Amino acid sequence: MSVEPMKLFFKEIKEPIETAMIGNYAVAGGVTQTDPDVICAFPITPQTQSVEGLSDVVHQGRLKAAFVNVESELAAISYSTAACAAGARTFTATASQGYLLMSEALPMAVGWRVPLTMMISARAFNAPNLSIWNSWEFVITDYGWNCIVSENVQETYDAAILSVMMSDNSLFPTMFVHDGFIISHSVQKLWLIPDEVVRKLTPRIPRHTITTERPGVWGGIVTPGFFMEGRMGLDIAKKSVLDVMKNSFAEFGKATGRHYKLIETYNLDNSSKTAFITMGSMCGNIISWMTKNKDIGLIKIRAYRPFPYEELQKIVQEHNIEKLIIFEKSDALNNLLPPFSTSIATALYPLKTLFRCFIVGLGGRDVTRDEFSVAKKKMESVNDMKGQLYMYLGVRETKDKIHGVNI
Amino acid sequence: MLTIEHIKEILNDYTVNLRFHARGGQGGVTASNLCVEAFYGYGVCQPKFGAERMGSPTESYVRLSANADLVRSNEQVYGPHFVSVLDPSLLTEVDVTAGIPRGGWLIVNTEMDQLTIQDAVKRKDINIATIDATRIALDILGRNITNTIILGALIRVSHLFTLEELSDAIMKRFKGEVAGKNIQAIKQAIEETCIYDMGIDPDFTVDSKVPWQQVSLGLPGYKDLDKAGVWYCDEDVIPVGSDQVNTGSWGEWEILWDEETCTNCAQCWFICPDFATLRKLGDDGKYHMSGIDVFHCKACQNCLNICPVQAISKRLKQGPAACAAPEEGGN
Repeated sequence: MSVEPMKLFFKEIKEPIETAMIGNYAVAGGVTQTDPDVICAFPITPQTQSVEGLSDVVHQGRLKAAFVNVESELAAISYSTAACAAGARTFTATASQGYLLMSEALPMAVGWRVPLTMMISARAFNAPNLSIWNSWEFVITDYGWNCIVSENVQETYDAAILSVMMSDNSLFPTMFVHDGFIISHSVQKLWLIPDEVVRKLTPRIPRHTITTERPGVWGGIVTPGFFMEGRMGLDIAKKSVLDVMKNSFAEFGKATGRHYKLIETYNLDNSSKTAFITMGSMCGNIISWMTKNKDIGLIKIRAYRPFPYEELQKIVQEHNIEKLIIFEKSDALNNLLPPFSTSIATALYPLKTLFRCFIVGLGGRDVTRDEFSVAKKKMESVNDMKGQLYMYLGVRETKDKIHGVNI
Repeated sequence: MLTIEHIKEILNDYTVNLRFHARGGQGGVTASNLCVEAFYGYGVCQPKFGAERMGSPTESYVRLSANADLVRSNEQVYGPHFVSVLDPSLLTEVDVTAGIPRGGWLIVNTEMDQLTIQDAVKRKDINIATIDATRIALDILGRNITNTIILGALIRVSHLFTLEELSDAIMKRFKGEVAGKNIQAIKQAIEETCIYDMGIDPDFTVDSKVPWQQVSLGLPGYKDLDKAGVWYCDEDVIPVGSDQVNTGSWGEWEILWDEETCTNCAQCWFICPDFATLRKLGDDGKYHMSGIDVFHCKACQNCLNICPVQAISKRLKQGPAACAAPEEGGN
């Protein structure tokens, strides 16, 4: 039995095709086109169909790849990192608790400079309750992976190809993220790229690999005399990654006509000098809402890691933005701000731009026009950076009261 | 009735929302996918997010517009203008009219007449269309798959896409004879749709979402939940959990228990995955079988297979088939 939407990828795609499919199958198709050698992942909702789709193309003989079944996410990332170090183009995928279980091996992919790619269907961590729905779990930990975030199915399909380009050219592992269920399980129209174009975009570049001709030690123990040099080496290498990403976006845009940027902006020269700033599927909600609310703008972060600090500063300065409304799908139990907002706050530090963070949509709660209009209204009376900088929005305080909202 | 010109004009500046009610395996999601593929403008289809199993009630949503920015929203669909129900047994089990604005359309696969449906859903301000899709499906396709056929009725009342556009989408998805038969069935459905028009058209320009609907007021807030994540069975704080789910409606079989033959060995009680085997403490201080919990029994037939004395039997449920054969390729 085969997975019906994957049939499109069983034969060579010769020209751009318009079709409609869910985010996860689109990613499976995109990964198929990049011709990986090894696919190793452990299924977890809501990531499952991406691996299911890939198992199908391998089973049908369309993709000559090793499809490796493992017993856990820790095994999946360990196997993938090693396979990638050995020279194979490798793909893995996970979500939520699986990402946590991978934690032990995630920094190693960065340290070894292997161009691994990983898909994440963002899903909440299980605390205090189990939830299979969407929150941004990937922002909470940061081990030095590149990270791009997608708004819709087209973007996540493109990201599957873009992340291979970025990984190969930067020699850092790249994860690409879409919101679990909201994108991973929604059917949207998208354009597929011809196989020939993908092949040209993702050529095999010679790189350091494990070989028997030149034996060596990977990740061996060092004394305090060496460790810091290794870490700083990584930091220096990371500096050029944003340029690599920019080039990948440009090259991709030239080949496909879909032009992405590290940060995308909408209607920033508005009368209120205020803008939303967020990433992922929520951007679409805001853009739809903005068709009737033209006095506000949107800054959409596409490249989340490395965080494009300078780029963001330039945008805020050029458009004279005075206030930013941050929407974030993760929270901060210990910190002044949640992780995504912390990055933005750091970038804004020299600029004195006013901002507030709104924590919304945890565990799959829908983020709607109600949240946007309340946040906009609340922002109008903000004149300083005093007090608590974040607030939860769309939470029941009691049975008949919503926290912070008068209804 | 809506006209083609009117709906085209609406689609330029507003969205048209659809909802499909079906049971897992009947192809409700495929039907909504076909809408997106057949529609000339922009569209997005979302299944109801969560777990779907064969026979369980499912919902999927479609948002269509000629304006790309309007469809870019990933919000859920709150006010569907057209609701299609693929299985009439859902009319009483699920609130199929939730969120339908005044003048919206309810399309049902049924042989019932419209007045009966109006009584069943208790709404007098919505238009109703019925189609006996099950009969057409059995006649033409040879099996009870009604998801494409109900789209014929949708074409008839909504004019969102034409038969030609839908045929193209079907040819892309299905091959050869299957595609041809589906198109033939849709043609017949367009002709046979019975329309019960109240003379009101839906107002597409009004946003029918209730403010803060997504926050589900009425459930306990964070101040009511003093032990976040932990709740005790005797407190009945959170009205969720498998206990609340009517898994009994999923299966196509009814499980019968014969008290005379039963020896109270309790093997069925141990093997039942849903605790649907009921026991009572008797006067003799021992537990005795007392029946089957039909609200939860989904007819997996484990008990039937394990019973050493054949005290358990099955029979096909009366009325509409609760669950159709799985689609080729699955969902």
